[in-house]
Amino acid sequence: MPPSPATPKSPGAATRAGDLRGGKAGPFPIDWGSLAPLRLKARAVADGVYAGMHRSVRKGAGVEFGGQRPYVPGDDLRFFDRRSLLRHDRLMVREFETETDRALWLCVDATASMAYRSADAPGSKLAYAALVSAALARVTLSTGDPIGLGWVGGHGTHGIPAMAGREAFERVVGALEGAAAAGDVSADAAAIERTLGPIARRARRGSVIVLLSDLLDLPEGALSAFTALATSGRTLIAVQVLDPVEAELGFTGNVRLRAVEGDTVVEADADAVRAVYKERLLALSTPWEKELEARGGRLIRATSADAPVGVVRAILKAVHEARR
Amino acid sequence: MSFLTLGGLLIALLVVAPIAAHLLRRKQAEEQLFPPARLVPPTQPSARKRSMLEDRALFSVRALAVLGLAILGATPFVRCSRLALARNHGASVALAIVLDDSLSMRAKLPGGKSRFERALAGARELAQGLATGDAVAIVLAGAPPRVALGSTTNLAAVTAALDAAEPSDRATDLEGAVQLARGLVHGLVQTDKRVVLLSDLADGAPDAPPIQGDADVALWVPLPELEAHDQDCAVTRAERSGSKVWARVVCSGREPAAPATSASASATPAAKAPVEAARSIEIRAGNKVIGATQLGRSARVEEVAVALPDGAPALLRAVLTGSDAIAEDDEAPVISAGGALPIAVVVDATATRVATGGAPPIEQALTALQLDAQVHPLPSVPEHEAELNAYSALIVDDAPGFTPEVRRELAAWVERGGVVLLTLGPRAAAAPLGAGFEPLIAGVVRWTPIAAAPTGAAGSLGVDPASAPTLGSSAPGLANLDPRGRTALDPVAIEGADVLAKWKDGAPFLLRRSLGRGAVLSLTLPLSTDESDLALRPAFLSLLESFVSTARARGGARRIDVGQAWTFDGYKDVKVRRMPSGGVGAPRIIPVIEQDRRLRADAPLSGLYELTLDGEATTRVAAVPDREIDFRPRQVRDAAHAAAMGGVAPALDASPYVAIALLALLAAELALRARAPREAPIETT
Repeated sequence: MPPSPATPKSPGAATRAGDLRGGKAGPFPIDWGSLAPLRLKARAVADGVYAGMHRSVRKGAGVEFGGQRPYVPGDDLRFFDRRSLLRHDRLMVREFETETDRALWLCVDATASMAYRSADAPGSKLAYAALVSAALARVTLSTGDPIGLGWVGGHGTHGIPAMAGREAFERVVGALEGAAAAGDVSADAAAIERTLGPIARRARRGSVIVLLSDLLDLPEGALSAFTALATSGRTLIAVQVLDPVEAELGFTGNVRLRAVEGDTVVEADADAVRAVYKERLLALSTPWEKELEARGGRLIRATSADAPVGVVRAILKAVHEARR
Repeated sequence: MSFLTLGGLLIALLVVAPIAAHLLRRKQAEEQLFPPARLVPPTQPSARKRSMLEDRALFSVRALAVLGLAILGATPFVRCSRLALARNHGASVALAIVLDDSLSMRAKLPGGKSRFERALAGARELAQGLATGDAVAIVLAGAPPRVALGSTTNLAAVTAALDAAEPSDRATDLEGAVQLARGLVHGLVQTDKRVVLLSDLADGAPDAPPIQGDADVALWVPLPELEAHDQDCAVTRAERSGSKVWARVVCSGREPAAPATSASASATPAAKAPVEAARSIEIRAGNKVIGATQLGRSARVEEVAVALPDGAPALLRAVLTGSDAIAEDDEAPVISAGGALPIAVVVDATATRVATGGAPPIEQALTALQLDAQVHPLPSVPEHEAELNAYSALIVDDAPGFTPEVRRELAAWVERGGVVLLTLGPRAAAAPLGAGFEPLIAGVVRWTPIAAAPTGAAGSLGVDPASAPTLGSSAPGLANLDPRGRTALDPVAIEGADVLAKWKDGAPFLLRRSLGRGAVLSLTLPLSTDESDLALRPAFLSLLESFVSTARARGGARRIDVGQAWTFDGYKDVKVRRMPSGGVGAPRIIPVIEQDRRLRADAPLSGLYELTLDGEATTRVAAVPDREIDFRPRQVRDAAHAAAMGGVAPALDASPYVAIALLALLAAELALRARAPREAPIETT
């Protein structure tokens, strides 16, 4: 006898999803699952990540030679390589690398949809994003760079200005632990502006801005608002965090699905529509990927079932590649 | 709790269980939260619909299979509500099905079907139950009785004959139909011979002896529900006379009595019987009512007069208002007065007197026969065309020839359709010089006296009954006629004539010779009681009836009874159409057939007929006989209802049919399973 049409692959998914029915769009306390306690888990993740020194991508006045490049009109003549002109009869300028403070700004999506957790996931999407954020904060702080925190939606959330030192990690972890998923910003175009506005004002050249979101219910213009931060030498990294069931449409047979944000109710044969769903899901994130890569950034796709260490490494690698 | 109750509960459980499983499976999916729900295309309707269809089909097949198994197991209890005959040790039978197609069979049964439809359905059910070796004949009981199908073992012919049967407005002749049916199966090899009577038994003779079978052919009346108990009124005739229309209304119930006439609304009932109150006769021109008269509240037979306004159109209808058992007989076309056949009689009252006094025997006989004829005694044969045209038939008794002027006018009248009966006696043989019967009778007429012989002696002169089928069952009564003389005709007079009856020595007794559109009947014996007692014998009534019938058939009468036929001698192109009642609908073409070198057409329905005779159009009317509006059933012997002959609910072995149905269901389920998609196998319920 085949499974009942209304039975998801993971029985726990219905149970945990049922927890979200308490109110319309939250607030929903973070379902930490096996990701708690955040501090210890974040330290463990950070310890597993190679935390070597990273170099600034800024080239110009400095102490360490960074190579040569062809001269273009407007270059500072102080760095003109006259030896190359005399020896090779070519106009070249010399470049030098310089070490700067590269603040990391974390922008965490805490809307209601981030509270979703299926049985296959160790915790909710927000818990997973918080763990990755905390681990990144620890890695960043260990290199002496400041860390800042901002929120999209959420309940009981408060942003943290860029700061460095041991205290900064505690404040970031405290802010992450005290948040709850809430709100539907899909129709609130100003919500993303309220989040990114302060970051745009405070993040200086060379800063790295990491957005952790499921990208499912962000308002129209969220992508353009985020990519607008790419000016002034800032690096943009977006991490799409999905639940494994969301990534694969982990149901079988006939299912009746209700969106957490919005009033969408869909009844479908999961097996029949899985391919179309995955195409649509990919189509949703593809513009982010293209826009970010066009501005030197990266989109990283992850599920809450993935190892956080790998995700953090991927983020650091993306930062490193973006700065090269 | 009996075994049957337990079995019934078990079967019900087997039927309900798949339903419950089906409903459980069809329960709506539980709703779940899923943030990217808007990315999921809604494909539920098609998927569920397909699944639903598959499930329903399978469920239906299985439920039917369970019921089929239950029926198969309960076969001894299965009875079929189909008319079937019981066979005597399974032997073949010879059936003569008498199907009543008379007017009274149009009455409705409680279920809404007419009696004729039920009788026809019964005949079909009987035909379906026939087996190889059975012989079937079909007789229609509407007057006159007709053979729809002679005895045959071809069952396809039986079906075709039943398909061709249709109701009519005829009277009922059960006696004749049963007799005819009995003759059809008599002598067949089957030992079990039956006449199956499918009729309401309303033949207008409720007090006649009961109908019964005989030792050779049994009578079976299998559908007692057909017996008529309805109330019905009919307009049997309507005649226009001056500024009035006389309508005759007959209602079912009591025995028809002598009609009472009433003028305008002052109808006097002739007999009392329950009839629906507040009915009236309306005279309509098209759909416009131009006159009406209230009927008596309890009249059985009533003739009412309805005054017509000035300038009333020629085409009128008499319509009975209200409703009753048969709607088809509530309307009759109005014809001009003279609907009764006008017969002129030229008889010497002194020669044909009777000891009891009164009118000559022929006039008394015509009146007693009630043949709807108007008898006009004349002192002599009319000499002018206008006088002759007032009559349709003429009887001339022993006339001493006709003058040339009279002969010429008489011959012309006959050629136009008149019918004349000439009785020839001593005075006819003693025609004066210049007088004669040419061209009505060719040759010379001679009177031959006969010596008296002892009554009943072998040498007595009489009519050969075998040569006189026209006179029916009373023909043997003329075998010992023993007249004092008879008329001899020249051989030339017999040429081209039909000899309807012969003397025992072969000489013609009654001749019929067609002349133009009319006919001349010659009787070689006068009506005088001095020469013979022919006019006092029953066979004389049959002779007169045949004469009147011939006169009507020759077109003398504008109205005939339904079931009678018109004959058209001398016409080459004849078309007959029955006009629709009320002018609504298309005319019905009545087939004209040639029989004995004569064209004839039956009138199966009452109403107005349009005849086109060699391009000349005329109208005729067929009327419902009064006796048909008498629904009291004829008595039938109890043996005709014996259950041993069969019935409508015999126990039938339905096992083969149920088994075949189960096999079909199994095949259907296999087909459904084969069609089901492999990726979504059908869940067993």
